[in-house]
Amino acid sequence: MGGVHDMGGSPGGPIDRGQHEVEDWERLADAINAALGGKGLQTTDQHRRAIESLEEYRDLSYYERWVAATEKLLVEKGVLTSDEIDERAASIRRHWGEP
Amino acid sequence: MSGHHQHERAGRTTSPYAARIRAIEALLLEKGVLTEPEVQDSISYMEARSPANGAKLVARAWMDGRFEELLLSDAKAAALQLGMEPEHPAEFIVVKNTPGVHNLIVCTLCSCYPRAILGRPPDWYKSFEYRSRAVREPRAVMREFGFEPPEDVEVIVHDSTADVRYMVLPLRPLGTEDMREDELVELVTRDSLVGVNVPRS
Repeated sequence: MGGVHDMGGSPGGPIDRGQHEVEDWERLADAINAALGGKGLQTTDQHRRAIESLEEYRDLSYYERWVAATEKLLVEKGVLTSDEIDERAASIRRHWGEP
Repeated sequence: MSGHHQHERAGRTTSPYAARIRAIEALLLEKGVLTEPEVQDSISYMEARSPANGAKLVARAWMDGRFEELLLSDAKAAALQLGMEPEHPAEFIVVKNTPGVHNLIVCTLCSCYPRAILGRPPDWYKSFEYRSRAVREPRAVMREFGFEPPEDVEVIVHDSTADVRYMVLPLRPLGTEDMREDELVELVTRDSLVGVNVPRS
């Protein structure tokens, strides 16, 4: 059974060939993912599985999916808890002056 | 599956995930799971990669038949020979265009790409539209990039996976026989390495 990610062969509209400037947080998401892989804390297949099982798959941008999947894996493996990530993210946003 | 694909909001700059990844980074550093240098090295690793690496491999293969043989049989060894760092657990396979065959690369399931050589894939490579359509109507996709192989040329689409990454060795453009290697490098575009187009001529 195909999941939401299994879209090969589906019809689709024109391809947007525009390129967005990679943002710092996206670089960081990429880097942390690779660093966790380098330490043997996560494999490409685990990360892929976590991305593919995201309920909000179609609503998230590419690196949002990456972050959500990395978070999911770290929580599953007991490295971090959702609560501490929520708490720290909220404090970072306050620091940035975001609501 | 619905035929209406939602556009990725790739350009959004106010993602709530920006704070989440910073939070994850801070916590991982505090707990000693990762170190600051490891994160920095990981950022530098990806920044150091670009399609220029692919262009060098292609131009050398055009100049040197023995290098072309190596590139097609053991692409990582060929990359090492040119001083690149192709180390990555995934296989790296280079497929050759010929007058009768044109190759196109996609990753329908996500975004697998020879990142260790070419860096991050472009946004369109990761788009739902490219992933869906490249295997269904490759010629229509190539037309959108301004290229279509002649009718009698066979189009082969390679679907990448977490374990196997592909790059195209395009045909050397006609009329470039007298060009030096460094001039040939300039002809090889990223799009020609994915197969949605051909090199400049």
